[in-house]
Amino acid sequence: MLDFTFSEEQDMIRESVRDFAQKKIAPIAMEMEKTKQIPEDVIQGMADLGLIAPTVSTKYGGQGFDAVTAGIIAEELSRADPTGSIPVFYLVQASWGHVFDKYGTEEAKQEILPNVTKGKWFLGIATTESDAGSDVLGTRTTIKKEGDKYVVNGEKMYISGVREAYTRGGGHITIAKQFPELGAKGMTMFYLPLQSKGIIPTYVDDLGREGISTGGFTIDNVTIPKHYIVGQEGKGFYIVHEGYEYARGLIAVICASAGLKSLERGEKYLKERKAFGMPLAKFEALQFRLAEHYTKLSFLRLGSYWALWTYDREGQKKATRFEVSKAIAMAKMFASEWSTQAIDEVMQWQGAFGYTRECVDQAAWRAIRSFSWAEGSKEIMRVIVSRELLGKEYTSYK
Amino acid sequence: MKILVLVKQVPDTSEVKFNENGVMIREGLQSILNVFDQFAVEEALRIREKYGGEVSVMTLAPEQAKSALQKCLALGADKAYHISDRAFGGSDTLATSYALSLAIKKVGEFDLIMAGNQATDGDTGHIGPQVAQFLGLPHVSYVEKVESIDGDKALVKSLMEDGYRMVEVKLPALFACIPPTTFEYSNPSMSGIIKAKNKPYIWFKADDIDGDKSRFGLNGSPTRVLKMYPPPKRSRGEIFTGDYHEAVKKIIDVLKEKKVIS
Repeated sequence: MLDFTFSEEQDMIRESVRDFAQKKIAPIAMEMEKTKQIPEDVIQGMADLGLIAPTVSTKYGGQGFDAVTAGIIAEELSRADPTGSIPVFYLVQASWGHVFDKYGTEEAKQEILPNVTKGKWFLGIATTESDAGSDVLGTRTTIKKEGDKYVVNGEKMYISGVREAYTRGGGHITIAKQFPELGAKGMTMFYLPLQSKGIIPTYVDDLGREGISTGGFTIDNVTIPKHYIVGQEGKGFYIVHEGYEYARGLIAVICASAGLKSLERGEKYLKERKAFGMPLAKFEALQFRLAEHYTKLSFLRLGSYWALWTYDREGQKKATRFEVSKAIAMAKMFASEWSTQAIDEVMQWQGAFGYTRECVDQAAWRAIRSFSWAEGSKEIMRVIVSRELLGKEYTSYK
Repeated sequence: MKILVLVKQVPDTSEVKFNENGVMIREGLQSILNVFDQFAVEEALRIREKYGGEVSVMTLAPEQAKSALQKCLALGADKAYHISDRAFGGSDTLATSYALSLAIKKVGEFDLIMAGNQATDGDTGHIGPQVAQFLGLPHVSYVEKVESIDGDKALVKSLMEDGYRMVEVKLPALFACIPPTTFEYSNPSMSGIIKAKNKPYIWFKADDIDGDKSRFGLNGSPTRVLKMYPPPKRSRGEIFTGDYHEAVKKIIDVLKEKKVIS
């Protein structure tokens, strides 16, 4: 049986989040491009409603939401914030909060997760390095066990939320090589508090998503306790992909939502703006472009929820890991591309105004463009899908 | 303290449009909890927080209004009563108030009944006072705040045309509430929404409440809505500027010309 409806509870969640987001986020969204931060009252408002890492169990202050419900929240935050700052703040913590809840030690979860869900700390993900992105095995950061502690050395780059974790508290789930000779089986995942001695942050000036920082940090002989290990030693490579899949599913929803919202603004403009004595909406060339973009993004939206639903079914033992990887990769493959194409079209309709910083759509374009690589490039999505179709033996990469 | 709040689901009329006959276009309008009622619910929850007790909510409406009651539960109300039956179809405010008062009697006694002062669709302001009348309770309308409750007495702040009045009322009583201009309604939290589904939700049919069934629905409704239309648009009028004496003279001339004065 096919059923495309959400549950009554999910409808209510959407209504509440939409109302909050339109009331508290939409009016200040563009301001974040200048202040370079998410206002504290918005973070607190999100925490009070239970919107920060809602995927975490109630035991640690979360809501225990499944991936589809997490997607609903992502969709509504994206509708309200064209700069993409709050969607990134949300999706990173929702995805990695879920992973931390699933694989973290009890002691670490009790210490960290309630501070995250209350909006006090930031929980991020740090795998990328200057020379290692999609190729996780190219990671140079190392982790060594010394007695009952671990010592980490290396650097991470192009990481979301560095300033947030460095100044507010919290840290990043990080991956490093523990047993280099074992390849994928030699990588370990751990929680790295960014206020640790030996962490030196740096920041990059991103093109978009300016309300949340992007940066990196050097890790110089940073000692972490045993209970900060996430999963087991040598399992990091596998867990990190699970987390990325969660994030990719949310990103696909965010892209669809931002694009559809931009089209809504575009529709309004087409009806209002006149040329040659009639509204732009009467020009069939523009009507067709609107119809095409709307159709593509509506399918993207459906595909994204289907992918998140598949993720949830894995938890119910109704889908395999490989089915999830494929579904999520299919959803994310065209997400940024289709969404930025639609937003670009809306900018085009608005002519010279579309090229000004006053135009909301250009902020959305800059934000959504980043998702072509963030949490896994669109090229890697093709690698994953073709690998699942043809079999591992035809994959050129390890 | 046992508190009952009467609520209504209404069309979201923040962007209301009318057709060429002046009838409101309901298609595409979302249904929302009447904002006056949400204020009453939030005020009731504030009272519960201060004085303890239980907050119930009640509506008389078709099944689809369940989402409005669930929102109240998600905001923190403890129990919901939903009165729904085809027999209530076409009820005006009198028949609605009659049925509500019967349901309230059926449920039991309350120390305090609250309601929105009016609904944003009908805007009559009838329900609160009529329910109070059927139940034989004192009532105060335009209540912005329940200042204090001391034993069986409540002190409420009620909005007047040119200020406020403070009214001391013996409980049980009914307060029809109006949000102050500073009121910012709350959104149900995620945990509130999850908890709501496990809270008691009680359905009442027409047969479940004792009373004269001829007074239910269309049969019990003396009001007939013949036509609804927006008031005609008024022109901006003429503004006379410049020297005060000159302007007054001009106004007098115009009034004479139009034979308003002679």
